[in-house]
Amino acid sequence: MNGPAWPRWWRLLVVGAATIILCSCRSHDQLDPFAQQHATATQPDAGDSARTAPSSQPCLAGNTGDAAPTGSISGPPPLPFQVAGPWAPPGLSQPWPEDEYLRDGGDRGLPSAVARDWRVDGLEPEDTVAHFDTLEGDVVVEPSNTVYIYAPRFAAVRSVTGALLNQQVAAPADTITPLQVVRVDDLQTPESRLQNTQAVNQLGRKRASGFRTKFQDGIMAVTLMAEGFHDSFSGFENISVITHGVFEQADAPRLLEGVQAAITWTHNAAVQVVIEGMPALTVVGDARAQATFHATKIPTSPKLRVIKVASTAFAQPGDTVDFTIRFDNVGDALIGNVTIVDNLTTRLEYVPESGQASIEGQLFTERNEGQSLVLRFEVADPLPPGQGGILRFRCRVR
Amino acid sequence: MVAMLRCPAARLTLGWNGAVSKWALILLACVGMLSRAWAQAPQVHYRHRGVTPPGAIGSWQLQRGGPLQGYFQPVEIQAPPGTRISLAEHGRFDEPLAAPRLVGLLIAPVYRFRVTHIPLNEGVEVFPTVEVIDRLYPPAGQAWRFPIPVELTQQEIEMALDGKFVTRIIYLEDPAQALPAASDPRDPTLGSRAPTTTPWFDVAPGENPVQVADSLGRPVAILRMGGRIPLEEPGGADGQPCDSPPFLNYAAPVIPVKAERAKP
Repeated sequence: MNGPAWPRWWRLLVVGAATIILCSCRSHDQLDPFAQQHATATQPDAGDSARTAPSSQPCLAGNTGDAAPTGSISGPPPLPFQVAGPWAPPGLSQPWPEDEYLRDGGDRGLPSAVARDWRVDGLEPEDTVAHFDTLEGDVVVEPSNTVYIYAPRFAAVRSVTGALLNQQVAAPADTITPLQVVRVDDLQTPESRLQNTQAVNQLGRKRASGFRTKFQDGIMAVTLMAEGFHDSFSGFENISVITHGVFEQADAPRLLEGVQAAITWTHNAAVQVVIEGMPALTVVGDARAQATFHATKIPTSPKLRVIKVASTAFAQPGDTVDFTIRFDNVGDALIGNVTIVDNLTTRLEYVPESGQASIEGQLFTERNEGQSLVLRFEVADPLPPGQGGILRFRCRVR
Repeated sequence: MVAMLRCPAARLTLGWNGAVSKWALILLACVGMLSRAWAQAPQVHYRHRGVTPPGAIGSWQLQRGGPLQGYFQPVEIQAPPGTRISLAEHGRFDEPLAAPRLVGLLIAPVYRFRVTHIPLNEGVEVFPTVEVIDRLYPPAGQAWRFPIPVELTQQEIEMALDGKFVTRIIYLEDPAQALPAASDPRDPTLGSRAPTTTPWFDVAPGENPVQVADSLGRPVAILRMGGRIPLEEPGGADGQPCDSPPFLNYAAPVIPVKAERAKP
């Protein structure tokens, strides 16, 4: 069954499109990541407020923020790369790369859930969660924030070969190849584009404005005295949200340096609904001799806020790191069986007898699959609204 | 209904129908997307081997892009106590300094250095090379506190003196695959291996050490050491190296001495 032939322009269009797709160079993006990043930073993005404020971005002379990315470099001589700050591929979350950081806290992977026998399923290494029982009989799991510690660890793979292979490797003909390095040095001019990464650094300063919605938690919390501790508050704990349970915006920049707490606070702020002053509904019938009073039960909103901080942002193998977990009942109902569970990562080793708590409870340890420990702190008494506690322990970086 | 697509060059007539053309377009789109998937492949060194000529892996790494060019990666060259290390600078080796030595090296160039005053081997020298193939991204101002450890063990130096060729791939451990063993040199349980700060293991004969390191983490430096004395090369004289790429020498901090006040 014959039909009308495709028009010539359509056939040429298909052949041209196929040629463009097949001839596209795959190495272009990798060879020039700075141009990509520049293009990303100069295009306003409605979903990222930090990128829409280029007016405060520092830039080199001759390279204004509104200029389109060009291949030519003008202005002063290229500066060393360190000036531009840490580099990260576009689209990846910080910190980067993750293989240089130890991560502790949060609920990664499968969400944690509590079984009937109080076993916590879905608790991967590095996770820190708290679970409690509500008056309605539900079991709620709340993850903590995530703490990152820069602690790279190195290892080596060794290969020992004989003299015959040795001559092949160190042959004079092979040593000619390092001359390529001289040629590569000529390509160092793109360093001047690294100033464009300054815009990425602005992201961290914009996050502080997101904490403004959390003041009601601070009002509901109370000051915790360090009665249960062997010593007073440490320097890294001397922030209002840890010592008094009141989040002050002035502490936000300091917290952002050591913790990634934005998820926890914004999450709690989003669900905090205070229902008060609701009167009982009165139904009065004119034609009846009695009045019927109908009271609606106000639903409770139990919540637990878990904040975790570390004593340092970077550590060498062998160093010790102090972790402090502050938990507060920021809901409007009594909660019970409050349990803090911290599944330590492989490279964190719990220092025995280092656990301290400001309220009565028991600390249990259990081996995990990463040859480390799972710390489980069970609060003895139910937590009324506005009450909380502090758990502190020490780990050694392997 | 068959659409006729004629090739004007060869005067060939092909019978097409709508389904075939649709599948052809879908296939072309898949091929196009596949090329993008290749571009996002992990940066591993499966095509590289331990016997790759010095400098080649680093040069290829530079061509992959990223902020590698011009960055001086801090490297700490460790050696047995008493050993002295000198690096090639301006065509000759600089002043031998006691190990460990903290220097900043560029990515890809091959740095040759001379190791002297080897314990139990006085008067003998070895000339290892170090090639940095990747860098770290530490917090601002902390780069020198987290150098790449390049360790010369007494055993490996003696292997080189016996005519063996030692290739050591230093890699950054993936925290998800890290061994629970302690690597703290201050740990007394390490016993005789206490001076070793970097855990290591030998690969099986015939196995590619670069690929093994890739599977366990991110290779960052390659140490090569043999027993040969570097040959005289064009530009060098009397065995001195001709290729001496720039490096940063992080000197030990100088502690000021308080001057005694003259008594009145």
